[in-house]
Amino acid sequence: MGVIAFVAKRFGLYLAVLFIGLTITFMLPRLMPINPVDGYIGQIQSRANGTLTPEAIEEMRANLEVLYGLKGDIFTQYLSYLKRVVIDFDFGPSFTYYPAEVSTMITTALPWTLGLLLTATIIAWLLGNMVGLVAGYFHKKRAASILEFVGILLYPIPYYIMAVTVLLLLAYIFPIFPLSPTFPVGEITWPKVGMIIYNSLLPAITLVLAGFGWNILSMKALAVATTEEPYVVYARLKGASNWTRMTRYVFRNALLPQVTALALSLGMIFNGALLTEIIFSYPGIGLIMRTAATGGDYNVLYGAITLSILAVATAGLVIDLIYPLLDPRIRHK
Amino acid sequence: MIRLNDLKISYRIGSRTIDAVDGVTLTIPDNCVVGIAGESGSGKSTLMKAIYGDIQSPMYISRGSIDYGLKGVDGKPVTAGNVRKEWFKSISYVPQSSMNSLNPVIKIREQFIDFPGTDSNKKRVLEKARAYIGKLGLPPEAMDSYPHQLSGGMRQRMMIALATFFQPELIIADEPTTALDVVVQKDILMLLMELQEEMGNTILVVSHDMGVHYQVTHKMLIMYAGRVVEYGDTDSVFADPQHPYTRMLIDSLPTIGDDSMRGVLASQAGASGDRAYRVEPNLIEVKPGHFVAQSEGASV
Repeated sequence: MGVIAFVAKRFGLYLAVLFIGLTITFMLPRLMPINPVDGYIGQIQSRANGTLTPEAIEEMRANLEVLYGLKGDIFTQYLSYLKRVVIDFDFGPSFTYYPAEVSTMITTALPWTLGLLLTATIIAWLLGNMVGLVAGYFHKKRAASILEFVGILLYPIPYYIMAVTVLLLLAYIFPIFPLSPTFPVGEITWPKVGMIIYNSLLPAITLVLAGFGWNILSMKALAVATTEEPYVVYARLKGASNWTRMTRYVFRNALLPQVTALALSLGMIFNGALLTEIIFSYPGIGLIMRTAATGGDYNVLYGAITLSILAVATAGLVIDLIYPLLDPRIRHK
Repeated sequence: MIRLNDLKISYRIGSRTIDAVDGVTLTIPDNCVVGIAGESGSGKSTLMKAIYGDIQSPMYISRGSIDYGLKGVDGKPVTAGNVRKEWFKSISYVPQSSMNSLNPVIKIREQFIDFPGTDSNKKRVLEKARAYIGKLGLPPEAMDSYPHQLSGGMRQRMMIALATFFQPELIIADEPTTALDVVVQKDILMLLMELQEEMGNTILVVSHDMGVHYQVTHKMLIMYAGRVVEYGDTDSVFADPQHPYTRMLIDSLPTIGDDSMRGVLASQAGASGDRAYRVEPNLIEVKPGHFVAQSEGASV
């Protein structure tokens, strides 16, 4: 009973967060002193050298307002916006690629972004935690400080420098990977899967290298602190093996904050997508967002931002739901 | 019978060495509860660590030796070299901090079988352990709970169950009741003593509490500045303390209705800085089985 009540309450909170997020996304552009319809009409007007009649302009304005959901007062607009986004997942057409639907653009790009970034983030997390655990558990041994050194070396390198360096090294100087990846379109077949993996490997390597260092340092610090805990000392005095102590005692206890970090970084995937996809011309959400930002494509931006809000809120929900499975001291109340 | 021969244990800190235990020669008989008392820094814990065989850098034995006089589970005599293999087989340990000596995220039953122990059939161990904790006043379900679901007293009972389950020859209890309230403290000590009588093994109990020593120990060892000040039967030590430091420790035990104690305690509370004894390593046997160190007590 307690669990059901907790899940219901947490899910209610999740919906509230989404609602507030959507409301802010709706409000922010409307607080700007620019009217996109005016801007658009102005553009057309100047292209037509001012030959449009006021009636034609009025008609165009009415059409555009319907199309972009700008009709009526702000409250009516808000309701129709919520209805479109929540029920139909419809953000309207793209301005730049009119009449392409934003939702179609997003659903086409999403698997690419998720496939690359989810995999890379999880691999970086797993590897970083394993290296960090060994470095932290054996922190008194000299060899372990070499492992930590890897973390210290990688962590401060800004992602764009890392990415460009790796690109130069592995695609230009040693052309192991393609400089500009090509991705097959249409039906997915096995040979195509191989090609996709080969082309995605380079961005994946940069993402893993970039995420890896932080995970090493964080896990190492947690593991060092945990090895001093009385229950780990007691396990040693019981005669428990190094492996048992490292995995079941230190790792299980140091894992908890790292799971939070993982979930949060999964929620932040779309931020990471931006740079990676621009540098490697990878056809995901990030590339779409960039084109939208430079072209003033509001609807596409709306769609991408809404997706980010959804991702972060969902990640938070998932952590809260799985945490009690990892730490028995936390109970749903 | 455990014999310590001129044992000196030091810590290496940079280029300096600190002698935490300095020339202890001592015989601990079998089937006996020995209480070890002394102030913080007197070398009690270091001595216990050395006997348990938990010698890790920067700690090392700089002189002397330990004869265990025990046979390990494989029938070979236990020596300082192989004592680690006997942990939780023929020699076990009750930690000070029962509150957090159990892994908080793993069920207790798992913590009964995650070390070698004497039996490699873990299922059988668990069955026996479940029955065993019942004898120690714990419900069998306690095995299936997480540490935080048990009270402090239950957790310490569990630590005692873990330490005694394999019927060790020697148990080292480092302040086993410090974190508990007085009522639970007494229960735990009584339990430990009952088990000792049953098993006929040797228990070394470190405690700051002279009341605990008086209640449960057969022999007393008083330590000061890394050396043994006094060692003898508890009754004899309490009835006729030979060394001024022992006398001071015993006098610090409050008695009901004794108002004069207040003055004594107050004067001793700030006294540790003023007090200084020079304790010699060799002991004189004043009575059969009651040894005292030669020393010059000086209150500066």
